Amino acid sequence: MKALQIAVKDTLTRFRDWKALAGMFAAPLIISAMIGLAFGDLGGDEAPIENIPVVLVNLDAGELGQAYEDVLTSPDLATLIALETMQDPEAAKARIEAGELRAVIVIPAGFSETVIPDSHGNSGQANVELYTDPTAEISPVIVRSIVERITAAINSTLLAGQVAGQQAAGYAPLLGPAMGQLGAAIGAELQSGNLNLQESLLDLEVVSTGETGESFDPFAFFIPGMAVFFLMFSMFEGSRSILQEERHWTLQRLMSTPTPTWEIILGKMGGTFLTGLLQFTILMLSSTYLFGVSWGTSILGLAILVVLTVFAASGLGAMLTAFSRNENQAGVVGSAVSLVFGALGGSFFPTDGLTGLINIASKLTVNRWAMDGFLALTVNRGGLADIQTPILVLAVVGSVTFVLATLAFQKRFVK
Amino acid sequence: MSNPILQAQNLHKRYEKVHAVQGISFDIQQGEIFSLLGPNGAGKTTTISMLSCLLSATEGDAVIDGHSVRTQADAVKRVIGVVPQEIALYPDLTARENLMFWGKMYSLSGAHLKQRVAETLEIAGLSDRANEKVETYSGGMKRRINIAVGLLHEPKVLFMDEPTVGIDPQSRRRILDTVLELNQRGLTVLYTTHYMEEAAELSRRIGIVDHGKLIALGTQDDLTKLVGESDTVRIGISGVNDTDALLAALTKLSGVDHAALEEDELVLQATNANAHLSQIISAIGAASGQVKSIKVAEPNLEAVFLHLTGRALRD
Ligand SMILES: Nc1ncnc2c1ncn2[C@@H]1O[C@H](COP(=O)(O)OP(=O)(O)OP(=O)(O)O)[C@@H](O)[C@H]1O
Ligand SMILES: [Mg+2]
Repeated sequence: MKALQIAVKDTLTRFRDWKALAGMFAAPLIISAMIGLAFGDLGGDEAPIENIPVVLVNLDAGELGQAYEDVLTSPDLATLIALETMQDPEAAKARIEAGELRAVIVIPAGFSETVIPDSHGNSGQANVELYTDPTAEISPVIVRSIVERITAAINSTLLAGQVAGQQAAGYAPLLGPAMGQLGAAIGAELQSGNLNLQESLLDLEVVSTGETGESFDPFAFFIPGMAVFFLMFSMFEGSRSILQEERHWTLQRLMSTPTPTWEIILGKMGGTFLTGLLQFTILMLSSTYLFGVSWGTSILGLAILVVLTVFAASGLGAMLTAFSRNENQAGVVGSAVSLVFGALGGSFFPTDGLTGLINIASKLTVNRWAMDGFLALTVNRGGLADIQTPILVLAVVGSVTFVLATLAFQKRFVK
Repeated sequence: MSNPILQAQNLHKRYEKVHAVQGISFDIQQGEIFSLLGPNGAGKTTTISMLSCLLSATEGDAVIDGHSVRTQADAVKRVIGVVPQEIALYPDLTARENLMFWGKMYSLSGAHLKQRVAETLEIAGLSDRANEKVETYSGGMKRRINIAVGLLHEPKVLFMDEPTVGIDPQSRRRILDTVLELNQRGLTVLYTTHYMEEAAELSRRIGIVDHGKLIALGTQDDLTKLVGESDTVRIGISGVNDTDALLAALTKLSGVDHAALEEDELVLQATNANAHLSQIISAIGAASGQVKSIKVAEPNLEAVFLHLTGRALRD
């Protein structure tokens, strides 16, 4: 109970400190905004993405499946995607796992029949399935956006047809021209360079047949990176406050009250944890509001990942502090570790390209595991099942560092 | 008469290189203000830290209200209030928030906590500024809140470690009055200071510490008797080149027991000083010095310290 009161006191103190607030919130949001804009520009300058290996599994015998196939094979998209067709969805998915494909699009059997309204205007719901390579970041987004554009066009055609009182047989004439234009439209965007593609991605509505989703934007890469990077900083700084309390004698005063030392230590570490939790949550909310970032679709996965990321970061901060000679040393080491972890762990650039020793070093950072988890949720829209390894690693790192820090602090302060 | 609420028994604290406290023993009676008087580095804070269970004693023990600091720390912590030498407060929090927080650390809660916070703010005389951040307070106001925290849980014994350091005379007066008033209401106080006037005003019994040892202990009368009948003479001088020779010459004069130099002031212990002043002045003249001022004082604790250690209390 007293531990909680100490934690709340620490959190309150931190949120009243303008300098701390600037580091916790202003810096990550401003830098993300800058990187986000730069990313948009960079996309135009760099080599365009070409020949994304994609497989279409069209099990639908109707005109809608044909519509997808027509657009995807249209000459306008030929340089962007290298499309193959297959009949076995499982075999196709296995090729993603093998690293041969970036995406598999599956149009289920009976899709047209289900979705197109019958003579009474009734229709069912069916989904086009899109499987993407979880290790790739940009190409799945492009494929997804193309599929969503087609889906959106089909949706509006169906809607238009319904309004006009069309019968099932009458959709084909409507679909033909709509799809023809679509291929050309996407192709034209590509002609004018990737920049336009990126910008159009920003505005794209994700609509799968029968349901509406959210929109994607490139900030989804950078906001989690910056949030994790600045979280580390604030967790190291928060952890050092126990040494500051020793210097100001408030720690000694705490220890002169009838409060067990372990509870004081737990309170101090809990305060850092609570601060980090609030910091991260506020960063998530404000980035959603300011930049329209989507933090994915799995609230449970996100909540667990955030809690464990903060747990691991604050535990590491506490451990570094506990084993530092003094406040100064803790500060220097903390800043160095934050920077190195940020660079290696994917806070500034994606880590999919890393191999060998660098990749191993990257995997020794808290940032890497946190980023793997966040990107799985934000960019790849995965769920809890896709972040099992990151959350397990973060939980272990957090637990071990918390225990070690507690023991070291106990030894340090009980004189 | 003998009803000690605190008994320090042969307390030692050894650090790697320093033997900071070297066997200090004393009793404090219920309801008294007991002062430990000593210069910087004497071991006052180390002693108080052992008594408040912050530091474990290398040797010895203390019993406070029947509880051993060695084995019953938790019980000891409930009966003592601690006012550290440092201002141990959170500057980002208001005075009220500080008091509320520290009250919770003493397991106070609810209406009782609020009442105690109001009462201690009253004692500190800061009720009207309770909602301002402590960082905006003057040094004297911070000191008063620092004391208020130590009173929250209505301790039986209050440890005050140099509570008037670094503040203006008015604030110091206020704090001394507060200590006297709290004592009148029954609070036992252990007070440390390097100002002999504070020890003299507050306490009947005083312990003098130096280099980790209690070099004298008793009532003021007991202590001043140690110096005999000698008076303290303070002479402001200038122009003396060889001060060591002058000090040597002065100690040779009949009636002069001790001579020391504090900046540009000579501090002498002399029996029946007024009768020897002319000799003293001519000795200064002989050392080509000029006399700027002369003060003669009856025996006091300053003199006791000088007598016992050969050094002035504040060097
Ligand atoms: N943690 C420590 N390690 C080593 N030496 C210490 C430690 N703490 C105190 N000392 C030494 O112990 C001696 C007594 O220090 P202490 O702080 O108790 O003196 P004090 O009487 O309170 O002085 P002041 O009037 O300056 O507060 C000093 O020589 C000090 O340098
Ligand atoms: Mg001290």
